[in-house]
Amino acid sequence: MLNDQIIEKLQKSIEKRRETALITITDHTDRRMVGNRILLWNDGSQYHGNTASQCLTEALNLHCLPLMIMKKTKTINFQWGDAIVQCYVELYKAPIHFIIAGAGHVCEPVAKVGKMLDFFVTVVDDRPEFATEERFPEVDEVVCCESYLSYFQHVPITSDTYVLLLTRGHKFDVISLQQLLSRQEKPGYIGMIGSRRRIAGVFEQLREDFPNESFDHIYTPVGIDIGAQTPEEISISIMAEILKVKNQASGHSLSGEVHSLAKLGFR
Amino acid sequence: MSIHYLQQAVAIRERGEAAALATVIQTKGSTPRKVGAKMIIYPNGDIEGTIGGGCGEAEVIREALNVIETKVPCHYVVDLTSGLLYEDGGICGGTMEIFIERL
Repeated sequence: MLNDQIIEKLQKSIEKRRETALITITDHTDRRMVGNRILLWNDGSQYHGNTASQCLTEALNLHCLPLMIMKKTKTINFQWGDAIVQCYVELYKAPIHFIIAGAGHVCEPVAKVGKMLDFFVTVVDDRPEFATEERFPEVDEVVCCESYLSYFQHVPITSDTYVLLLTRGHKFDVISLQQLLSRQEKPGYIGMIGSRRRIAGVFEQLREDFPNESFDHIYTPVGIDIGAQTPEEISISIMAEILKVKNQASGHSLSGEVHSLAKLGFR
Repeated sequence: MSIHYLQQAVAIRERGEAAALATVIQTKGSTPRKVGAKMIIYPNGDIEGTIGGGCGEAEVIREALNVIETKVPCHYVVDLTSGLLYEDGGICGGTMEIFIERL
């Protein structure tokens, strides 16, 4: 049975950015087992919607956990004791963790669009008057950090972490990038706002610590060229770039391709 | 994967209404929806979401009404391979296994 607690737990787990698999027993020699649901996490911990399915704890770790690690949604069949079991394993990925460093005026529309796209949005700044929940009521987390250094030293990072640097001065970008570049884990996106001059200054300073780094993977100047001027326009330019990276797309106008196809005529 | 239809299903249960949930759990070949697609079916035949439309969907709705009645979950295979052209223009050519359960 689809029980309420299990869906609530699933939702909370996704909100906490924990990847979760929802397992449905879709077939079982014992018909009463069919329809039971179980939540499974990467570390093998489980939550059973009904105590009846607890006898399958070990079997689920053996058969479903590997699917989860391969990030697959799939139906599998296996034998457990005398029973033939079919499970539908549905993977719920953790949402992208979008970290915006610098709570200035570009941050406001960027954070809004980030939420519209269902990202888990964190706004971080070292100034208490800027890092307030009143200014960012819709985001998931507002962090007033001691320094950008300590924040980027400790924040959990995976390929599903996207970092956008909108800080108030290039020395804060340098501090943040020094931490990000020296970490073992690599974020899926690093973007940094700034003029060509500021960017050149940042890279010059970073080169002392990272002589072999090309910095090619850092998106800076940030955004796609749509002539953005206002904070709102800039936010669209930046978020379009982030979607381009996330969806591994070209970022070109779709019509470009269609125009050349249209010339061929309809066949 | 979106949690939307599951939350919707919970809301229906909380209101004490009867309905069924259909989930695409396996596919072979070319199919209109992929594994994980969901549809909620109400006793009057109304639906929310889609598992691909057309004749296949109508068959699933019929099965789901039966599941609401009997309260016994079932598997239903939508076969889009027989006849390349359905009357309604479905030209997919694969099979989809649907798990249907009462909410």
